[in-house]
Amino acid sequence: MTAGPRSVAVIGGNRIPFARSNSNYSKASNQDMFTAALDGLVSRFGLEGERLGEVVGGAVLKHSRDFNLIRECVLGSRLAADTPAYDLQQACGTGLQAINLVAAKIALGQIDAGIAGGVDTTSDAPIAVGEELRNILLDANRGKSTQDKLKPFLRLRPQHFAPAPPRNEEPRTGLSMGAHQARTGAEWGITREAQDELTYQSHQRLAAAYERGFQDDLVSPYLGLSRDQNLRPDTSLEKLAKLRPVFGGKDGTMTAGNSTPLSDGASTVLLASEEWARERDLPVLARFVDAETAAVDYVNGREGLLMAPAYAVPRLLARHGLRLQEFDFYEIHEAFASQVLSTLKAWEDPAFCTQRLGLDAPLGSIDRSKLNVNGGSLAAGHPFAATGGRIVANLAKTLHENGGGRGLISVCAAGGIGVVAILEA
Amino acid sequence: MAAATAKTRALRSSPGTAGLYAKAALPLIPGASLLPFVAGGGSKIPRTVLTLDGVKATRDELAAYDRVCGFTLRDTLPSTFIHVKAFPLHMALMTDGSFPFGAVGLVHLRNRITQLRPVEAGERFDLRVSTMPLQPHPKGRTFTIVSEARVGDELVWQDASTMLRRGTGDKSAPKPPEAIGASQLPFVAQWKLGEELGRRYGAVSGDRNPIHLHALTAKAFGFPRAIAHGMWTKARCLAALESTLPDAYAVDVTFKRPVLLPSKVTFAAEDGRFAVRNPKDDTKIHLEGTVTAA
Repeated sequence: MTAGPRSVAVIGGNRIPFARSNSNYSKASNQDMFTAALDGLVSRFGLEGERLGEVVGGAVLKHSRDFNLIRECVLGSRLAADTPAYDLQQACGTGLQAINLVAAKIALGQIDAGIAGGVDTTSDAPIAVGEELRNILLDANRGKSTQDKLKPFLRLRPQHFAPAPPRNEEPRTGLSMGAHQARTGAEWGITREAQDELTYQSHQRLAAAYERGFQDDLVSPYLGLSRDQNLRPDTSLEKLAKLRPVFGGKDGTMTAGNSTPLSDGASTVLLASEEWARERDLPVLARFVDAETAAVDYVNGREGLLMAPAYAVPRLLARHGLRLQEFDFYEIHEAFASQVLSTLKAWEDPAFCTQRLGLDAPLGSIDRSKLNVNGGSLAAGHPFAATGGRIVANLAKTLHENGGGRGLISVCAAGGIGVVAILEA
Repeated sequence: MAAATAKTRALRSSPGTAGLYAKAALPLIPGASLLPFVAGGGSKIPRTVLTLDGVKATRDELAAYDRVCGFTLRDTLPSTFIHVKAFPLHMALMTDGSFPFGAVGLVHLRNRITQLRPVEAGERFDLRVSTMPLQPHPKGRTFTIVSEARVGDELVWQDASTMLRRGTGDKSAPKPPEAIGASQLPFVAQWKLGEELGRRYGAVSGDRNPIHLHALTAKAFGFPRAIAHGMWTKARCLAALESTLPDAYAVDVTFKRPVLLPSKVTFAAEDGRFAVRNPKDDTKIHLEGTVTAA
């Protein structure tokens, strides 16, 4: 056994451009997309035929046949076939949690190098049959005689043929994620203008990142896309202001512009011990320092569905003796502009910080010029499980380019979950 | 020298295979071959060269092909996919009035594809298809259709499909290629092939030969049930090997016996040799082949 945890290096990442739902990747499966991202990473770092410690990833929307999705992708990739893999699912926290787990195994000395990431498609989504039809089919399957097998079909009615696509709804509240955030945003008094401003900035910064070649070694073209399809370099505050609200009723402030669209895509990140990287002469962009996962009781506890990162961050700060202001970059996943702004406002709020977080004083505000400096999910799109990998590779490169520094990542997820992490270079 | 005497015909669009199959069936009508536009009129393979420029795959047809054959959807074309794009030209050659026999009833014996470099999904390529002279065979006569794909002046892909016309054999004909020990290859996978496979591959490849579509139409041509397309079986093997393929390679297969649908078959492979076998009897080989770096 190695004594004490080892430092974990982020070597680099690769993802495919994110596509809008039912567009360029409409015929691509999760397996196709993750394999493409994985093979791109393998060729970028010369890993052909290498056996890695493991590959970990997952998808939020998954066909039941994809029970071993990531292992299947490894077998279809140019990595050595004896590289183990497993699937993981933690809603939109999937990608960052996968990275955290690979990092933890490297830190413990269980593995030397691994790949983590995620993928999602809202186009090639699993469609289930309705509950009544499902019961008829199961009963028919249980039947022993031909008669027993056929009899359940007498219960069949035309309405049973309506498919049951996956729902973007919290099972316990029946509200969509957007509807939940609309309530949280209203509670924190988040204005339409502030949300549109953040959205505009996200598009501007991602477009600039592409323009200066920042994405060149983070993104590989796939199926006719070389940039994220949702990116609108020419959007303006005026255009954003014209959009109608889609959540929170007709007086709502959340629009299709300041909420992330349904998207398709995949991302991967290569992590290793510093020694492994040195042996192969691979760059170390940053170190993955630590992560924290929190959850909130959004059902009975009167907390907002997407507020868990607000709880996870102070715990992580306390563990490292850091203040919220001691970061050079902040990567807060822009599920909705309103989510980012609610979180920031909560950290500034004395009542929230003392009563809900149990702190002595507010965490305070952050320097907004350090927030999502190369664009965020509002511009790039958000294929649920692929977002963590996009953000980690992006922040690691940003820190490296900066010649060092410290970065904070925050990702909110369904089920009232939040995953946050610290990177340093 | 051969090219100098060959007649080249440039096509402006890919010929529709549905009409060509109707035309292909005409020689089956007694006396029809006397008509100038019906195949079966000639006694030699005509030296025709067909070309079709600027061929490009659509994303949707590539995705559908990949799904049916088991390939991962990538930004490069499976080498067997280019065969699908060349196939309508094969049909046009074989249904031409000067062709010595009808396309229906020909047996696909062998297919060799050489990929000189991966072809990008968005790349336009030019196809050139020609035929080689008739050769004697123990069970009749064979001829080979040679197809080439070029991107600009660069040759990127070659394909040679050898077809058998059953008939009076020539016992002194050269023996078919050396067997590769297909019965001894280690088991890799079992594939369950559905009854609908011929129709699914027919839809993505345009090869709607009635022997593949349905048991009834297959019976009309002497098969007990519908049979899987040979080029599907080859593509499925290649898909199973795809993560091990180099950028440039040759994949050569011999079709030994038809795969009846539905059925279960065994895929076996080792060190660049592979086979599709009957799961109950390893000595019954449906297809055997090799893949080598080119």
